[in-house]
Amino acid sequence: MLTLLRVAMADLRHDWRLGLCTVVALAAVLAPLLLLAGLRAGVIGGLRELLLQDPAVRQVMSAANREITPATLARLAQRPDVGFLVPRTRTLAASLLLQAEDGQQLRVELIPSAPNDPLLTDGAPAAPEALVLSAGAAARLGATAGTTLSGRLARLTQDGGREVVVLKLRVQSVAPPRAFAREGAFVTLALAGYVEDYQDGRVGPPPQGSADFPRAERASYAGFRLYARRLEQVPALDAALRAQGFDVVSRAGEVAGLLALDANLGLLLWLVAGLGGIGYLVSLAAGLWAGVERRRPSLAVLRFLGMRGRTLALLPMVQALTLGAIGACLALAMAALTAGTLNRAFAGTLGIDRPLCQITWAVCLAGIAITLAGAAVAALAAGLRIGRVEPWESMR
Amino acid sequence: MIPALLSAQDLRRRLGRGEDRFEVTVEHLALSRGDRIAMVGPSGCGKSTLLALLSLALRPDTAAAFHLADIDVRDLWQRRRLDALGAIRARAVGFVPQTGGLLPFLTLRANIALPLDLLHRPDPARVAHLARLLDITRALDRRPADVSVGQRQRAAVARAVVHRPTMLLADEPTASVHPAQAESTIRLLVEAAAEAGAALLIATHDPALAAAGSLTIVPVRTVQRGAGSVFAWPC
Repeated sequence: MLTLLRVAMADLRHDWRLGLCTVVALAAVLAPLLLLAGLRAGVIGGLRELLLQDPAVRQVMSAANREITPATLARLAQRPDVGFLVPRTRTLAASLLLQAEDGQQLRVELIPSAPNDPLLTDGAPAAPEALVLSAGAAARLGATAGTTLSGRLARLTQDGGREVVVLKLRVQSVAPPRAFAREGAFVTLALAGYVEDYQDGRVGPPPQGSADFPRAERASYAGFRLYARRLEQVPALDAALRAQGFDVVSRAGEVAGLLALDANLGLLLWLVAGLGGIGYLVSLAAGLWAGVERRRPSLAVLRFLGMRGRTLALLPMVQALTLGAIGACLALAMAALTAGTLNRAFAGTLGIDRPLCQITWAVCLAGIAITLAGAAVAALAAGLRIGRVEPWESMR
Repeated sequence: MIPALLSAQDLRRRLGRGEDRFEVTVEHLALSRGDRIAMVGPSGCGKSTLLALLSLALRPDTAAAFHLADIDVRDLWQRRRLDALGAIRARAVGFVPQTGGLLPFLTLRANIALPLDLLHRPDPARVAHLARLLDITRALDRRPADVSVGQRQRAAVARAVVHRPTMLLADEPTASVHPAQAESTIRLLVEAAAEAGAALLIATHDPALAAAGSLTIVPVRTVQRGAGSVFAWPC
């Protein structure tokens, strides 16, 4: 085997011009494919990252108030493509007038939340009296984590009077700006439910000094806010909910567009790779086959001198793999240089804070592996041809 | 009596078709260590085919008996044990083709060492010794295309004997060398065979060359038989 390797390498060195042509031809096919794969990874990866940075992209929210039973919501939450679900109270009944100690007042929307809420990186409200204020609301009220606020809740009584409840609330944290653009407060479902129930007249004021809000038996919620587990699941989840009669709002179209772009770029990559790769492999196979015919006298000498047919059949394999490896390395170098130039030229122009063309290790390894596998397949035909070389041919 | 190194009986091989049909027939042949034989006959009479048969490189169509030392070559061919035949060839046969048959991509040194490498018995000293004997030391690190025809032929002789074969065969070894070098090439073959202790069988069309090497001359020719011609040993 060692002798075969020595002979194969010596033959390649001797025929270096032909080998160089093979290597350059391979690199000329592979380098653009690597670039294309790098562009796909860079552009799609960048867009995907942009979308993933905003958890609202995975959000699917019911658009209109309707009566959804807790059992229906529990069934929705059980879906494998749903990562998080929290019920919503009626929009009109979900607001609260907050007042800071300095007298500053602000009416905020109440957004029911629960542990693992994707919008809240610092955690969901942990107690019924806890609030996670939106950045805008916190700024208007001059509130930070730990600030105590009063929540004023009013309703009309049956005798035409006006009843006001003041709730002692505590700011647990301030949500990131992208979590909620308007003035709002993330609250526990218990608080949101109490506000709605109080305004509907189903419950009275909380006992003096108690942090527990009275609860009414709840037969339904007005809606829900849920998140798909993965970005790719948003369009299908949106469609499934609509099919079940829910009027929902999501960014399914945007996600579907990205997925379609990804799929189309993938198809383009495979088409170009397929055509270029097949063409190259056929030419490599033809070159190796012709090489066998050209070297037939030498191969016959090796057979005569006792080299086994099966061992000799590996000669084009060794040579093809060597040329393939060198060609792949050259292609990687060419692609890396071009990618560097592209990334410098397009730096900061596409609004994506990452390289435009990203030739990842996975792409490199896949390129090398596919090239070597293709070279090995191309060498098989030549190897079979060598098996037919007879030792007596060296005696002509 | 020295036991035969190689013996063959009723060995036949047909080649070609129709009017070009050609048959090599060996009624009886025995080669012993130390034999120095020149098979002399016109070009194209079948000498090369006979050498191919005797070197175990070409399968006979039929053979009543075919032995190399105590190995039943006929049986190996019948069972198509090509790798076993190759291994025997690698050990026991040395061959000098008309054109040298050196691998163009290897240096003369690597060409000469190749039979030893394939036998996993590298012996650079033996290669150097033969190079000195054949006066090609200074050309050892050059490729065949970069040396003279005579140097190539001497390197081919060295490659044929480097592994000390028991049988050294040469097919018109002087065909491509300058006439002035032809006699010395034959003498080299004889010396190399003696040094390796091998039987020597040379195919040549030139009886004078055979005489120069003090070889036993066996004249060979072909005879018309039916549509084709037959090369027979002995005539």
